[in-house]
Amino acid sequence: MGSSTLSRQNFLRGGAALAAAAATATKATPARADVKKHFKLAWTIYVGWMPWPWAAEKGIVKKWADKYGITIDVVEVNDYSTSINQYTAGGFDALTITNMDTLAVPAIGGVDSTSIITGDYSNGNDALILKDKTSFDAVKGQKVNIVEYSVSQYLLARGLQMHHMTERDVKLVNTSDADMAAAFETPAVTAVVTWNPIVLQILQDKKAHEVFSSAKIPGEILDLVIVNTPTLKANPDFAKALVGAWYETLGIMLSNTPEGEAARTEMGKLSGTDLAGFDAQLKTTYLFSNPAKAAAFTRSGKLVTTMEYVRQFLFTNGLMGQGASSADVVGIEFPNGKILGDSKKVMFRFTDEYMKMAASKSL
Amino acid sequence: MRLINRHPNPRLARVLTASPFVAVAVVYVIASTIRHAANPDDKLLPTIAQMGAAMWRMAAQQDMESGDYLMLNDTIVSLQRLLLGLGISLAVSFAIGVSVGMIPYLKRLFVPFINAFSMVPPLAILPILFIVAGIGETAKVSLIVLGTAPYMIRDLILRVEELPRPQIIKAQTLGAGDWQIALRVVVPQMLPRLIDSLRLSLGPAWLYLISAEAIAAENGLGYRIFLVRRYFAMDIILPYVAWITLLAFFADLGLRWLQHAAFPWFAGARAQ
Amino acid sequence: MSVLAVRDVWKLYHGRPVLERINAEIGEGSFVAVVGPSGCGKTTFLRMLMSEERPDRGAILLDGLPLPLEPTHDRGVVFQRYSVFPHLTVLGNVVLPLEFARSRRLGKLFGIAKQRAEEEARTMLEDVGLTGAAPLYPAALSGGMQQRLALAQALIRRPRVLLLDEPFSALDPGTRADIHALMKRLWRETQMTIVMVTHDISEAFRLGTRVLVFERPPVQPDGAQGGAVVTHDIKVHERNIDKLQSRRATPTGDGPGAVSVTSRDDLATA
Repeated sequence: MGSSTLSRQNFLRGGAALAAAAATATKATPARADVKKHFKLAWTIYVGWMPWPWAAEKGIVKKWADKYGITIDVVEVNDYSTSINQYTAGGFDALTITNMDTLAVPAIGGVDSTSIITGDYSNGNDALILKDKTSFDAVKGQKVNIVEYSVSQYLLARGLQMHHMTERDVKLVNTSDADMAAAFETPAVTAVVTWNPIVLQILQDKKAHEVFSSAKIPGEILDLVIVNTPTLKANPDFAKALVGAWYETLGIMLSNTPEGEAARTEMGKLSGTDLAGFDAQLKTTYLFSNPAKAAAFTRSGKLVTTMEYVRQFLFTNGLMGQGASSADVVGIEFPNGKILGDSKKVMFRFTDEYMKMAASKSL
Repeated sequence: MRLINRHPNPRLARVLTASPFVAVAVVYVIASTIRHAANPDDKLLPTIAQMGAAMWRMAAQQDMESGDYLMLNDTIVSLQRLLLGLGISLAVSFAIGVSVGMIPYLKRLFVPFINAFSMVPPLAILPILFIVAGIGETAKVSLIVLGTAPYMIRDLILRVEELPRPQIIKAQTLGAGDWQIALRVVVPQMLPRLIDSLRLSLGPAWLYLISAEAIAAENGLGYRIFLVRRYFAMDIILPYVAWITLLAFFADLGLRWLQHAAFPWFAGARAQ
Repeated sequence: MSVLAVRDVWKLYHGRPVLERINAEIGEGSFVAVVGPSGCGKTTFLRMLMSEERPDRGAILLDGLPLPLEPTHDRGVVFQRYSVFPHLTVLGNVVLPLEFARSRRLGKLFGIAKQRAEEEARTMLEDVGLTGAAPLYPAALSGGMQQRLALAQALIRRPRVLLLDEPFSALDPGTRADIHALMKRLWRETQMTIVMVTHDISEAFRLGTRVLVFERPPVQPDGAQGGAVVTHDIKVHERNIDKLQSRRATPTGDGPGAVSVTSRDDLATA
């Protein structure tokens, strides 16, 4: 295995998850939050989220927190699934997470969350790879090794849909991402869906052919920063500080300067790879470096369509909660006021407010 | 009277036994109620009713996709893997344990190797196991065998060595040869000890089974737990954990009963 | 000719002698009791007789031939403990030697052959007074009954020599008296040759026709100590017990005729 396994979707490891979650058992998530001064953001290793630890290390987060008179802890959680569970249990105020997982865990779990930053989308980071076959249609009837219920499965479902098949046409074998590359080396494994850097690693094998990737569904697998909605309403300054720090950091790392290269080198190192490895992953990740563009994307009808796909996917797989009769059990609210699902039970909100403030330099 | 000499009466003893279980249940219900008052959709500590509903769905209703009863299916598949793995461990450790324990040449040849090998954490060499055994059923069973057999072999060698030397001399003075000593003196005395060894290996066997199912699987109790963990479905995880605990408890009970029933001499012999 | 001949036997542990210059001719039908203080090497001597250990010098002959290199069925043994098999019933324990003899491969008899062996075993059990205990496991027996069983088991294949290693030391006095009587009767009936190690001097003289006393010389000023030698070789006639009593009253330690019994320590289990 490469040392730079993505932790975003890496949920099978880290058995401490349940114990850690239990530790927060008595901290119930309040429906109405108090004004407070101290906040916690949880992040996990993933190319699109590496700006956070770097910004914390360089004092950028502190600078913005000071500006609003608050403090922000930037906490690494070594397991993506654990970070979501802890956020949902009330252990964190803000979290780096995908759009699909936000709907499936905190939203379904009754924790109202607002996405304040549309950070990036996977633009080839996730892929379906077949052994010895070069066309998508060859996947029919195969066993597919995959991290089930992850964005990988969403990608596969979308690919099947685009090729007039359904998940019934394949057989899924839930496989830990940590062992995916090793699994591909065994003769019985002929099809895998996984993410970078594992994709890059598997593709080094001459028998491996990428037949579908997230580049074919751009803008659907989104990486966000979400904040607990009651906390956000009581403390909008927290969101302002986060957004301010975020775009300042992106500005530095994406600049074609020695400082930018140094930043990317350090982020690469923090995620267990080097500059070349980090840049290779950035190539298949569309980072919204311009806050105005990020805000516009968040307002677009495209996002509504994407979330419709996502919630139907979750519903089909029984992930919308017990006894859900349709994908409408919770509501998703968009910046233009449109709501998908139950408008009386909105648990997932997209806002462009803070990104717009960053664009107009009014933070 | 000293504390060490005070004993509860039978009624109080039962109350004492039950109280930690009751206490845990009460604490759980209280914590769950508090969380659900704040958030009716709380996932961390589902209510008893929610867990009951989840279990009903898993145990008594057919899965829409496959038409299986998922919990039953998971249980059968997991138990098959567990039994096959432990069965192989048992056979291997019995053959190796008895012969190595008895024969000095084999002892020299294998004991240091087995001792060193048993220190290798099987989970750390998974990629090698995958190449050798694939990632299908063979790999899962192999992992259980690798996880339990070295301990059982070492244990059995020790048990054979523990047989009083006078017994072995005595058998020889009664005219027994190697085979006869193995079949009539050593093997029959090792069988009940093998059950002890098996009982102690049940815990690790479950651990390796669940690890194997977490790594790559299409079904099984461990598969289900790790799958739904992704969506924080504690309403399924907690009853599954309880179910696994119950299965392990009854397996242990069954083995104790078997030891008692099949080897009536053993309890008395051990007491001496 | 003697059944057992011990010729100038030495035994060393870590280069130091434990036994030195041991010579003994043990005649057919004799009952030799070996006594001595603990640590004097009497158990080592018995272990050499059963081929559990080998002399470093000298030779032991059985019927004029060198002793086999491993235990064989011509020398039966009874230990103080662990002499019977806990996983077999009383009957099974006595049938086992017959099964070893008659089923070379499995060591197990079936059908008629098994019935016949069981009949022989029952006769043997009757002889030692264990008829009623046949279906029990050894753990259910008292210490005295376990040793009766051990005797029955050792005797059923009629060994040339019976070696006893502190066989009655762990028994209480009443039980011991009963089993002494049994031992004596069995010895007379079978005319067997017996070598018994014991630290109980009265037992030695009560049962033995001959008593060998092992003793180590005192430690030298420089710390060196020689191995034990046979200091006394006493022919015992029956009804010699009164004489024994007077000997026991003699102070121990000095005087060539003294026999010292210093400890109840039991080497057989060490």
